[in-house]
Amino acid sequence: MHKLSLFVDQSSLIYKIDPISKMMYAMIAFLTPYILPHITAAIAITALSFSLLLIGRVFRHIVPILGVSLLLILSIVIVQGLFYPDNATPLFQVMGLTFYQEGSEHALLLTLRVLNMLAACGVLILTTPPDVIINSLMRLGMSPRVGYVLLSVLNIIPHMRATMARITEAQKARGVELEGNLKTRLKSFFFLMGPVILSSLNQTRERALALELRGFNAHAPRTFASASGAYPLYKISRVCVVILLLLVVSWRLYL
Amino acid sequence: MRHSQKWTASLSTAALVLIPTAIGINYLGKLFAGLLKLPLWLDSIGTILASMLAGPFIGAISGILNNVMFGITVDPISFVYAITSGVIGLVVGIMAYQGWLANVRRALIIGLVVGVTAALVSTPLNIIFWGGQTGNIWGDALFAYGLSIGLPLWFASFLDSIIVDVPDKVATVLISYFIFTGLPNQLKGLYARHNDIQEL
Amino acid sequence: MSIIQVENLKYQYPSAEHLALNNLTFTINQGEFIGIAGANKAGKTSLCMALCGLIPHFFKGAYGGNVLVNDKPVRDTPLNNLTDLTGLVLDHPFTQLSGAKNTVFGEIAFGLENKGVPRKLMLERIEEVLHLLHISELRNKHPFTLSGGEMQRVAIASALALKPDILLLDEPTSQLDAARTTEVFRMLANLADQGTTLIIAEYNIEKMALHCHRILLLNTGSAIDFNTPRWVFSRPDLNEHGIVPPLITRLAKSLHIKRDDGLYPVETREFNALGGFVDA
Repeated sequence: MHKLSLFVDQSSLIYKIDPISKMMYAMIAFLTPYILPHITAAIAITALSFSLLLIGRVFRHIVPILGVSLLLILSIVIVQGLFYPDNATPLFQVMGLTFYQEGSEHALLLTLRVLNMLAACGVLILTTPPDVIINSLMRLGMSPRVGYVLLSVLNIIPHMRATMARITEAQKARGVELEGNLKTRLKSFFFLMGPVILSSLNQTRERALALELRGFNAHAPRTFASASGAYPLYKISRVCVVILLLLVVSWRLYL
Repeated sequence: MRHSQKWTASLSTAALVLIPTAIGINYLGKLFAGLLKLPLWLDSIGTILASMLAGPFIGAISGILNNVMFGITVDPISFVYAITSGVIGLVVGIMAYQGWLANVRRALIIGLVVGVTAALVSTPLNIIFWGGQTGNIWGDALFAYGLSIGLPLWFASFLDSIIVDVPDKVATVLISYFIFTGLPNQLKGLYARHNDIQEL
Repeated sequence: MSIIQVENLKYQYPSAEHLALNNLTFTINQGEFIGIAGANKAGKTSLCMALCGLIPHFFKGAYGGNVLVNDKPVRDTPLNNLTDLTGLVLDHPFTQLSGAKNTVFGEIAFGLENKGVPRKLMLERIEEVLHLLHISELRNKHPFTLSGGEMQRVAIASALALKPDILLLDEPTSQLDAARTTEVFRMLANLADQGTTLIIAEYNIEKMALHCHRILLLNTGSAIDFNTPRWVFSRPDLNEHGIVPPLITRLAKSLHIKRDDGLYPVETREFNALGGFVDA
């Protein structure tokens, strides 16, 4: 079964950091360019996030994630450069369109924020399997019911993807067309989705009652079958994260 | 009536199991829309069905967790719109409770309201995070045009969102409505809260 | 010692037109292995649901009479408190997987984690049931990738790991081949010997005749009979209740091989002892 995850299965320094520290880093790094609106801060934190990806040996795996946002970044550069409301100083001209300095600087800041957001998240999600993230949060006290929902999603989506492949084949054999005009395709959409939706909703009833009898609503404090992972860099990474936070906050106060 | 509390607990298990299913349906809708090259995302059918079946709360949670999980496993940009997805679930759930599922015309109104609300919630997010764009070519072209003729940024950005969101949400709500009306009654009652035990 | 007492139990599903369970009264003792027999819609599944409390707590509907499990009235006991006593295995193997675990090991651990069983004890119990159901080699597989029969054994293992006093099984062998079915029935009989009360709803009359202490015969929600397999399967009217007696019993009936008490044998050994001859 194809897994739903961006996790890269290997080993490096970043993999030795516990998921909660990485999550804290992702959040602090994500917020930094908003807390410190200065472009130097944005450059610094973006550089830090990308360095961590390099150290973690997952740099090349962030590229496809950045690729998804390429259109958004392009749009930011063009639209802000041309039409940013505070535009005053012309920077250069392309095909008769004038790019302005103010808009381009703003676009640079926005682009850095997007890149930083993706890289900061990448530090967490490229080096930590999603179920490990969820289990760490449950150990930290997140409701097991929420944990159940999140873990189920990880299993249900690959399952649905497999179901989709099966249904597409079956419906094609029964003459449902995947090509044609919009009306035909929209009709096909119903034929394809309908059976999966009905069967998956029907399954919720039986699954719910099976869960009930397996102590799903038990009030006892929860225990875990798996040992909590060993993270040798646990303490030092927490300290680093806290230092980073203090740095950001004091820079803000100093401003 | 003295049992009502227990039932809420056991009912919510069915509703809770509905959430991952809803997220799976969202994902499937997106896949099929892509496969059939439909000019829409159709990636919130599950959230909207969950709201119609189990109410605004479950709908909102489905929407939020949908984006959180998509953010962790596919594309981090998705985190930003978790609030929008949550509000979509909330609006559909509330309108469903108030009888807006009675017929297609009313369902169409739900679609319009959802589309406009989604745009309203997304606009500040788009301004904060990307200076007003959405990353959709047509929407962003309209945004650029709006700015060039001197519209305020927030309004141009709102237009950008609305031109993208309204058609998609109207289509999504209508599709969900047709699927919902085709569901067996037994299933619709599964997540409802007002069922009590009668004496025999 | 009685562990389950049912008094005038009546039940109707919401928006159903007929009673699913109609005025049932019986008692089950601790350590008994009870088989529930009956045609489709006889009420077998509903009775399982009523004994573990899913009726009325999960299904709601209309309810009358009383079910006492360990002297606790099911109707007035929160489902949570009942789940420590009863385990349930359903016929559909896929939907009883939790859906949140990516290994068989984790799947079996699911209920134990929910109930806060200490880790050391949990691991012991998981090993025990993995061994009992012969699924040790599946421990690291993803539950969704298992065959129907494998899923069913994982479901039984998951229920057993919780060490319920009463285990309810609704067609637990529907996806198993003959050899696995025999294995599962033997294991269940063993459990009953060790004091677990077992209640199984099945179409497999042969196995029930062989292992169950008593058979509860249902027809459209009413109890027709509740007695030893010999007694129940010797009834002349089984046809009306949609039941075909075990092969040996049919053979004995046609050959008029009877016990002193007038009942027909249900197993080969007894059949042969009474003068018949079937190669075991």
